[in-house]
Amino acid sequence: MLIFRKPLEGIERPQMPADVVIVGGGPAGMACALRLSQLIDAHNASHPDSQLSKENIYVLEKAREIGQHCLSGALLDPRSMRELLPGFEKEAPLDAEVHKEAVYFFTEKHQFKFPITPPPLRDHGNYVISLNRFVKWLGSKVEETGITVFTGFAGSELLYDGNRVTGVRTDDKGVDKENRPKSNFEPGYDLQAKVVILAEGTRGSLTKQLIQKFDLDKDSNAQTYGVGIKELWEVPSGRIAPGEVIYTMGWPLTTHEYGGAWIYGSKDNIVSLGFVTGLDYQDPRVDPQHILQSFKQHPFVKKLLEGGKMIRYGAKTMPYGGWFALPPLAGDGWMILGDSAGFVNSARLKGIHLAIKSGMLAAETAFEALTKDDSSAATLRNYQTRAESSWIKEELWGVRNMHQGFEKGFFAGMFNTGLQMISGGRGLHARYPSTPGYEHMEKLRYTDPSGAEEPQNLGPAKGDGKLTFDKLTDLYHSGTKHEEDQPAHLVIHDTNICNSRCVKEFGSPCQNFCPANVYEMVDDANQPFGKRISLNPSNCVHCKTCDIQDPYQIITWVPPEGGGGPNYDGM
Amino acid sequence: MKILVCMKQVPQKDAPLKLNETATWIREDVSYEVNEPDAYALEEALRQKEKHGGEVVVITSGPARAQQVLREALAKGADRAIHLEDNAFVGLDAFNTARAFAAAIKDEQFDLIFTGLQSDDYGYAQVGVILAELLGWPHATIIMQIEKTDAGIKVKRELEAGFFQFVDMPLPAVLTIQSGINKLRYATLIGIKNAKNKPLRKVALADVQSAIGNNLQMIEKLYIPQKTKNTEFIEGPPAEVAKKLVEKLRNELRVL
Repeated sequence: MLIFRKPLEGIERPQMPADVVIVGGGPAGMACALRLSQLIDAHNASHPDSQLSKENIYVLEKAREIGQHCLSGALLDPRSMRELLPGFEKEAPLDAEVHKEAVYFFTEKHQFKFPITPPPLRDHGNYVISLNRFVKWLGSKVEETGITVFTGFAGSELLYDGNRVTGVRTDDKGVDKENRPKSNFEPGYDLQAKVVILAEGTRGSLTKQLIQKFDLDKDSNAQTYGVGIKELWEVPSGRIAPGEVIYTMGWPLTTHEYGGAWIYGSKDNIVSLGFVTGLDYQDPRVDPQHILQSFKQHPFVKKLLEGGKMIRYGAKTMPYGGWFALPPLAGDGWMILGDSAGFVNSARLKGIHLAIKSGMLAAETAFEALTKDDSSAATLRNYQTRAESSWIKEELWGVRNMHQGFEKGFFAGMFNTGLQMISGGRGLHARYPSTPGYEHMEKLRYTDPSGAEEPQNLGPAKGDGKLTFDKLTDLYHSGTKHEEDQPAHLVIHDTNICNSRCVKEFGSPCQNFCPANVYEMVDDANQPFGKRISLNPSNCVHCKTCDIQDPYQIITWVPPEGGGGPNYDGM
Repeated sequence: MKILVCMKQVPQKDAPLKLNETATWIREDVSYEVNEPDAYALEEALRQKEKHGGEVVVITSGPARAQQVLREALAKGADRAIHLEDNAFVGLDAFNTARAFAAAIKDEQFDLIFTGLQSDDYGYAQVGVILAELLGWPHATIIMQIEKTDAGIKVKRELEAGFFQFVDMPLPAVLTIQSGINKLRYATLIGIKNAKNKPLRKVALADVQSAIGNNLQMIEKLYIPQKTKNTEFIEGPPAEVAKKLVEKLRNELRVL
């Protein structure tokens, strides 16, 4: 019997008043905190009689240390950082400036270089960074301001008063597998906040609660996602220059899947490579971790990595539905930032600079709310206005229809992209619609049971232990650790569907799409098809793929006990 | 009771380790955490204070990053902290570390000093014992339980093979604490917030320089063990094979 995590009921919880609570200490949340501190400092310098305090401004971060759950390619477009901290280049951990880029189309054995790099993928002037190290640095700047960052604490629920968000409940600690308090139990706090800022990253769990409660996405396009599977490699010197950037399309994907790879040369012979697989594929047997392994076997990639060593592994989803998929950004007591909202430029494959910018704009609005002592929707919606009149909109508007154009496959996508490029982003329609990715998944009987068409993408990868790895070997390199004695944080609302429908209809795709072997179908003679769902929650790398991609939408990812999760050192 | 807890910041378990250029230690670009046995030592000190009153002080040595272990300790309930802050402390051997600690606390009057049983990185298990010697105090190691008595304390030591030893000791004393002696508490939000305003005394290398000398212990070379794989087939009737297998597991591999 699986028992799932939920906040304990009927217990007394410590209360703590707060001016602003930022949930999530990634680039968006940290930029927000830093900007807010700058505004308060400037205000206090010019208003000796009405000082604002930073004492009650808090950042909640579920990782044990700042930055440990941050994973990206990553390339940083410095635009927003230059606004936030002019001259930041002198002190931020930037690994290399991009000086060379190339785009390739792969077939199984060959590659064709695009004669010119498409404009959105020109990256001169951007920096190759480790997002983990970058956010660590940004977080240290926040801590210097006096704002408190609570590491190892997740937001488990939003607190409401009617339709107004009034705070955040943090996670209960010391709860056993059966949802009973242990001897060292510490109840989650109720942080009663004037302003709650959701900067949880992709598919935020509180953001999801909020969107569902108020049906916030009713006028938006369905958000679409990809899952990026990343490996960090140390390779023999001379293989790729620091600041060299390579994108690939094509093999191992077929025309049925959307996605592509990145290869970034960093300093000290470190190479970041990864594969983004669109979470709107048809065949339920597609395994994104397997796709990355197949990609590495391409002669072009193999030559680059041979003799090297894989040093880290991780996975994270990214929302690239674009401008039309954004939910409303603010309401009574709340604002949504960064990946939680969906600020990603799908053509440039970048979102960090937008996350930072959204954090800065939200900070300006939070500051306004504090000075006016009014955090109602009337004030906080100014964040929406700020975003719409900023370069965020300018940048996203140009690619507003980009990803939707690929819904009918690769060739339709290239056709639509071409049209959109010459029509300022419009293409054939003013607004291309989108459907949720999981709806594209087809039942087993519709797919070729032999998998002969694309075996390189289906089912578990075996791995040779040198160039390619099975999932558990990769997972070991993510440094993932959780308290073992706690309820499962992958909340499956109806396990009967797993055992009596999904196994037959889709062949339990959770085993394939999860890049961390969390989901397992084990033998059980008492079940109609002899299989029962079993969970290994301790393996979870917090990528959220299951929450997004399960075809019945019965999985809800909630944060496990704070402090648990991957350790994305250097990622 | 006034208790000092010696704590150390060590590379995280499972951190991918790389050797430094001279192959005498690891490269520093890893994540760090509180040495696990020290976390139990701190917990025990906090529990003793809750029972008998007094003060819990935490001390560590190392560069700025090491302050994190003190912050965590303060957040869990320690009253104040001492940080011997310098990168040079990382390279000290156990004798010198103990001498530096002794010099840093020379003006304090503690009833008890706790250390974790050993550190997860060097694993010397020496600092606590040497510190006791330098202070002229009694010490006991591998402590599983501490009770206050009229004359001092009664401690339970873990011996081999499930045996325990009970010892009566006078105070002041140094104890090295075994992991698992208690259940660790979590830091709370209010604890973390309050920790910001707790006193943290910094001690520079120069302040204790005169107390320390050349290292008596030096790491000559560090290397990553070569993995080898050896497959051996045992053949014959099942009963005989089983017998041989047990013999091998018991005498050669020593896992039984």
